[in-house]
This record gives sequence, structure tokens and C-alpha cells, in this order.
Amino acid sequence: MSTGIVTTALCKVFPPRRTPWSWRARGTPVAAVSGLSIAIPAGQVTGLLGLNGAGKTTTIRMLSTLLRPTSGTATVDGLDVVADARAVRRRINVIAGGERMVYSRLTGRENLWYFGQLYDVPRARLRRRVGELLELVGLAAAADTPVERYSRGMRQRLVIARGLVNDPAYLLLDEPTLGLDAPIARELRLLVARLAADGVGVLLTSHYLAEVEQLCRHVHVLDGGRLVAQGSPAQLVAQTDRQHVLVVTVGGSVPAAVEAVRAVSRDTGARLDVDVDEAGRDRLTLRHRDDLAGPVVDAVVRAGGSIVTVAVTPPTLEDAILAMSRATPAGVR
Amino acid sequence: MRHALRVVAAEALKQHRRLFGQPLVVFSMLIWPVLTLAVTYYTVLPVTGAPAAGARWAVAGDPRRLLAFLAAGALAYTFFFSLVQSAWHFSFERVSGTLEAVFLSPASRLALVVGNGAGALVQNAWLFGCFAVAAASAADLLRVAHPGMYVVAFVALLVPAVAWGAFLNSLLIFSRDSAFLYTLLDDPLWFVAGVRLPLFALPVWVKAVGLAFPLTSSLVVLRGSLLDGARVAELAAPLAWLAALTVGLFAAAAGLLRWGEARAARTGSLQLF
Repeated sequence: MSTGIVTTALCKVFPPRRTPWSWRARGTPVAAVSGLSIAIPAGQVTGLLGLNGAGKTTTIRMLSTLLRPTSGTATVDGLDVVADARAVRRRINVIAGGERMVYSRLTGRENLWYFGQLYDVPRARLRRRVGELLELVGLAAAADTPVERYSRGMRQRLVIARGLVNDPAYLLLDEPTLGLDAPIARELRLLVARLAADGVGVLLTSHYLAEVEQLCRHVHVLDGGRLVAQGSPAQLVAQTDRQHVLVVTVGGSVPAAVEAVRAVSRDTGARLDVDVDEAGRDRLTLRHRDDLAGPVVDAVVRAGGSIVTVAVTPPTLEDAILAMSRATPAGVR
Repeated sequence: MRHALRVVAAEALKQHRRLFGQPLVVFSMLIWPVLTLAVTYYTVLPVTGAPAAGARWAVAGDPRRLLAFLAAGALAYTFFFSLVQSAWHFSFERVSGTLEAVFLSPASRLALVVGNGAGALVQNAWLFGCFAVAAASAADLLRVAHPGMYVVAFVALLVPAVAWGAFLNSLLIFSRDSAFLYTLLDDPLWFVAGVRLPLFALPVWVKAVGLAFPLTSSLVVLRGSLLDGARVAELAAPLAWLAALTVGLFAAAAGLLRWGEARAARTGSLQLF
């Protein structure tokens, strides 16, 4: 039996809307996911990235059995999400951003108790589990307060606790930090990392790409419902040929130093822009795939110049995702 | 089965916590049916004084029996209409996003709708039920052939009502345009089911429509067993029809749930956000 979540040529086409009393369909079919083959192993955080409408949420909804694939397969530890839907539901859970999915008139404790019953968590364990989860998400003090009196962040933390109530082997996170304050979002990231270290397989979609870079060992990039790239965040950045931006300010007026940097630029093929800063000092900006800070500083010093500032901006995952999405031909989307 | 029973209990408790915040709401469950009963009674009372009324309908000649007849109707109607209300409330879970969270779980969908209906029934009807039975006993209006007939009356009211609730819940949670059912199943329900009028006084076509609703036969059994001293053998026909309707409603609920969930999974219509 294969372990982890595995999708093979997964497709989802939403049919045009049709009312029960009219056979005439309104609109056209919409292909949300096309031929997606990915693997989400246990014990690590896997990212699923793409712009809006890329098919991330549709994929999560298929993996969580809420949507039926039009074709292809998806399995969770060898269990098919369609044929073995009930068994799959016991092994997974979903946490979506936006504080929904809990009952506002119930207290935090009652919400978790209710969902624990739906997941058939053994009675004795459920009592303990509810207490642990409330502690984990920092809601122990508000456990018996109705959720309608919670702040937005507290509600979202309860949503997170709800997603953990069945102790899932796989956790599907759809924008889990949406609307959360920075400290709470950070706590959630730590929690996700801890869960993965404990063996939980996590699939994460997020628009906060720094979060993805920090947590994900492997990332799948979707565009127009298709897989356009995959790899570690560093590999993805390298694949898109994004550039490091190096800005060096040279003290005094030393023409030889500027000439030395021009030579480095010629040798490496880096693009060089020269201007002056507010203090009238030479400011040299180089763009290259590699970080050229070392050779450039070396060249300036050897030429008799002095370095005032050095700043390197490495390419980010965000740049890479944008580049990949732009690179996809419109017809494919 | 054990899991299904846990789901039923959890859903009933959740339903109670969602809809009943203040004790006053619980007492409104008594006041509302009693007021309805009073309005009906004092509307019908002047007409029953007519000489021909008693000859045509014996109950009309005796104001105490008339009150018992109407009270039985109000009790049964409270049972069934509370389920229409519960299904209406349940359908809002789709909009609020909680239905999707529920459907992520491995809980039996039929257990969920049964639990929702059973919860509504208990919290909406118990107070008026107790009141009606206590009042009828105190006024010496009950004519029961055998103590076992209390059980028959209770089961004939409860089980079909739960099936009715499960059916309505299944119908309403997957449909965005089912609000009309709420109106359709209010006044027409009491009319066709003989809640305030004896069935024999209704046109044949109305009686035929009424047979499709379990409330009609539940009322026949309730009035027969508690007010008219009827035995099981005398009520065999409505009981059999009620059993068939109950099985049909449970089967329809299960079918609707299966069909609705499959359709939602195909079209993505479970999600409203």
C-alpha cells in the first residue's frame, strides 16, 4: 500500500449550472484542475502555490472528499478519495482561513466536543483532547465562552483546533493564516512545523510566500489548473532565472573602483547601473543570478576604493511564482 | 451503529445550544401552542352551539371533548411543524459554512438529519406535550382502552415525526430555493391533516392530499387511542399506513442525502463561499 497522498492525472471540470426543472445548461464547463499528479508525503509540509484560480482550493476539496474528481485518482495512504471516502475522512482534516466552520452560539469547548463526536473520537480521549487543543491554541481561558464573543483571531484559532480534533494523519491547510495577527500566524507556523515533525503530512496553500518558504520542503506550483513546476523553494527560485540585486555604495570618488566593478560585470555578464546617491557617492547596482557581493567588494577594495554600504536582495519565491504564472501560455490556462 | 447514536446525540445537543439561548425561548414553546389552541377553540365554539352541529359531529356537542380534540391536534401539529422549523434552521448551516465542516467528517449523514430532527422535537414539543397530557388527565378527558395505548400513541407521534424531520432536513440542506416549503407546510399542513377539523368534514381531494402527510394518520391514532378508547385492532389501518409512510420517509431521506451529496460533490454547490 502506498503511503502519503498521491494524485494521478487528477482532473476536475465543473459542469454548467442546470436546474432540476430545466435541461438547458447555463454557462460552459470550467476546467479547474487538469492532469494533476503530485505526492504529499507524511511527516513534511508540502506547498501548493499559484495565483487566484490556479486550482489550489479545488485540489484540496477533492483530497478532502468534498468534491468528486471528474477523472484521475487521488489516494490517501492507498485509500481512494471516492471509493473509500469515509475511511479517508477519518485520516484527514481541513483548516481554512476566515474563521468559518465553527458554531458561534456554542462555546469553544462545545464546538470541539461536537466535532470530536462526529469523528468518533473515543469518549475518554475526547475529553482530554479538547483540553489539550484549547491549551495548544491559547483558548483555555475562553473555553467556556460562546464563540460569538471571540475576537477574529480567537475564532481562527478555534478553527485550527477543530481541524486537529481527530488527530489527522494528513492536514490540508487552505490559507490558514488569513486575517491573523503576525504573532498568532507565527505560532501557527511553529505548530505546523511541529505537527510535521511528529509525522503529520501537511499540504499548505498560502498567499504569504515567506510562510511557504519557511515551512515547505517541497512545493508544487499550479497555474490554470496545471502543474507548472515543483521542487524545493530554492530550486523553484533557481528554475525561474530570477536575479540577485546587489547595491554597493563606494566612498569618495575613485574612478578605478567603478572601472573594476565594470570589469566584474563584463566577466560575469551581470547588468550594471551606475548612479550617485544623495551624498554624491557612486552607487553601483548589479543584477545577476548569483550573489556577486564577494567579487565586487574584492574588486573595489583592490582598486583602492572603500565600501560604504553593501545590500543584496536575493530572488524570492514570490518572484518565481509570478514568473511561472506569466510564462504559462494563455491557452493553457 | 454506536457512532451513529453518538452523532444523533451530539447533533441534537448542538441544535439545542444553537437555537435556545434564554429560558424564555423554552416557555414560548408552551405559550405559542396554547395561544393557537385558544384561538381555534373560541373560533369554533360559537358554531358548535348550532343544533345540527352536534348531530353531525358528536364532539361538537360537548365543549370539553371539543377542547380535547383540538388540543390533540395542536400537540401533534407542534410535533410536526417544529421539524419544519428545524429543517429551515439547518439549511442555514450551508450558508454559514458549518455544513461543509460537518460533511468533512465521517459522520453518517442520515444520523445527522435524524439527530437534528429529534433534537428539535424534544425541545419544541416536550413542554406542550407535558401540559396537554397533564391538562387532559386533570380534566378527565382521556379514554384509554389499555395502558399500552399510551405507548402506541406516543410512538405513532414520535417515530413518524422524526422520519418527517429527517426527510425535510435532507430536502432543505441541498436546496437554495426551498424557502417556499416553509410556507407551504404551515397553514396547508394543519388544514389537510385535520388538525382543527374532523377529517370527514373535508372534501375527498383534501383527504387524499392529507394522507400523504404522516401528521394526518398520527392524529387519527392519537385521538383514537387517547380520546376515543380505541384498541390497536381498530387502529390497524392508520397504523399500517403510518408505518409505510415512516419507512418511505426514511428511505427518501437516505436517497435524497446520497443524491444531494453526490450532486454537490460533482458541481461544488455545497460551498457558498
